[in-house]
Amino acid sequence: MSQPLLEVQQVFKNFGGFAALSGVNIYVNPGERLGLIGPNGSGKTTMINCISGLLTPEKGKIIFEGNDITQMTPHHRARAGIMRTFQIPKPFNSMTVVENLCIPLEYAAEHKTSLSVAEEEARKILTLIGIEALGDLKPTGLTQVDMRKMELARSLAGRPKLLILDEVMAGLSGSEVDEILEILFKLNEQGITIIMIEHVMRAVLGFSKRISVLNTGLNIAEGTPDEILNNPEVEKVYLGE
Amino acid sequence: MVSIDLLLNAVVAGILIGGFYAAVSLGISVVFGLLDIANIAHPLFVITGSYFTFYLNSNFGLDPILVGLILMPLFFVIGNIVYQSYYHFFEKQGAEPLRGLVFFFGVLFLIEVSIIITFGVDYQLVEAAYLGESLNLGIVNVSYRLFIPFLVGVLLTTGLHFFFAKTFYGRAIMGVSQDSLALSLMGADPVRIKSVAFGIGIATASMAGALLVMILPIEPALGREYIGRVFAVAVLGGLGSVKGALFAAIILGIAESLTATYFGAAWSSGVSFGFLLLVLAVRPAGLFGR
Ligand SMILES: Nc1ncnc2c1ncn2[C@@H]1O[C@H](COP(=O)(O)OP(=O)(O)O)[C@@H](O)[C@H]1O
Ligand SMILES: [Mg+2]
Repeated sequence: MSQPLLEVQQVFKNFGGFAALSGVNIYVNPGERLGLIGPNGSGKTTMINCISGLLTPEKGKIIFEGNDITQMTPHHRARAGIMRTFQIPKPFNSMTVVENLCIPLEYAAEHKTSLSVAEEEARKILTLIGIEALGDLKPTGLTQVDMRKMELARSLAGRPKLLILDEVMAGLSGSEVDEILEILFKLNEQGITIIMIEHVMRAVLGFSKRISVLNTGLNIAEGTPDEILNNPEVEKVYLGE
Repeated sequence: MVSIDLLLNAVVAGILIGGFYAAVSLGISVVFGLLDIANIAHPLFVITGSYFTFYLNSNFGLDPILVGLILMPLFFVIGNIVYQSYYHFFEKQGAEPLRGLVFFFGVLFLIEVSIIITFGVDYQLVEAAYLGESLNLGIVNVSYRLFIPFLVGVLLTTGLHFFFAKTFYGRAIMGVSQDSLALSLMGADPVRIKSVAFGIGIATASMAGALLVMILPIEPALGREYIGRVFAVAVLGGLGSVKGALFAAIILGIAESLTATYFGAAWSSGVSFGFLLLVLAVRPAGLFGR
């Protein structure tokens, strides 16, 4: 087996005196679908912020494709192929949805084409996600659900090798969850490695090949969805929530 | 009794001068409006453009507009260097904006002193064959000295408007002004993008400087008189909106011209601030603010 695509080694992150991550280890193999779960406040988003470069851990290493990227700037990580969505979408409100997608196409994916070619490409991605009708709207006019789909589309526009999804399913209806899952399976088949952080258990259990569980900034369990479902430690954490 | 042609001429002169004010203020609209950097030295970059124009015009007979145009790349590079220094010594350290203001005060005095040492404190003006002529439209008289700066100011605004709407760099600059962290996660380097934006802001100053020295004689301290006015135009137009800056500049131009015509020139400089306060009271985000 080749080396993991991403390896998070013994990462510590404090906010003031509060330890949000206390030596977390995570890895994901090329082409894998990893689920990351844990109660609210367990450090999942903080972990993603360390991986995407918004936060620098106090201790520990982050390795991507064999390179230590712990100190790399966020924009270099994006160009290297790491894209993430935000739990609370952060679109550029002065631009239309298509224009929003053109930014990662140009910079993260280093598309280097004319604006019209990029816009055409952006529309293809919107079609894939099923929101092609929203292309010319400003994000402020979108519903929460459409905003999440746009956030997903925008991270796809960066042509990621590793796609990290921070609760993209929240607020979606059952059929919408299925729709997005279908897209994610398709993307994964095309070779994109996916880390899914999710509270919608049906989605994360059905999607992941392997699941890692965090609680209070620590790894508490790891295994296949079945193993996680039957893990007493995990059950305790979730019932005690 | 109000004379119609006096009124009409005052309004037209105001519109024309407004186009010029837009050119002077665009740099502030970009740098203060989009990057949140209070570059109070901007008018001094404009004056530097004026002196370069004066020098090349009086020694080599180059057309002022042509000088303004060929200086733009040079000013772009200067703007880049100024931003990189500002970033390195202030922004990166997380310094408070007030300390950044001290930096730009320093830049302001450095430029002013350099100009005084190089050119002295005498008034200077440029020459071009068309500058003395005017277009007679019935009761309204349009002098080229004002008309050409107006036209160039409008063109500059339009060009910048399309740059922001229709280019990758322009959109990235809009992005960096809204959320520079989100932009970096899209693969763009915020420092580089801001550097380009600052460079563009300063590049507009070379053209604005060329326009200024066409309109009136310049002296080194003139720049400081424009500080209030350029910030008034940028804020009035709605921070970061170049279209807004043009409209605000024209409104201000008309208001100043009418005041000067009916109440005397001494009152006109107070008009910009009166107007600014009035608009902000009604529309805190400015005329075209988001
Ligand atoms: N920027 C921050 N400053 C201070 N505390 C933070 C910050 N970000 C997260 N935290 C805290 O760190 C803990 C983990 O948060 P987070 O990673 O968002 O959890 P999760 O995504 O698993 O719900 C929480 O207790 C949260 O309050
Ligand atoms: Mg979270």
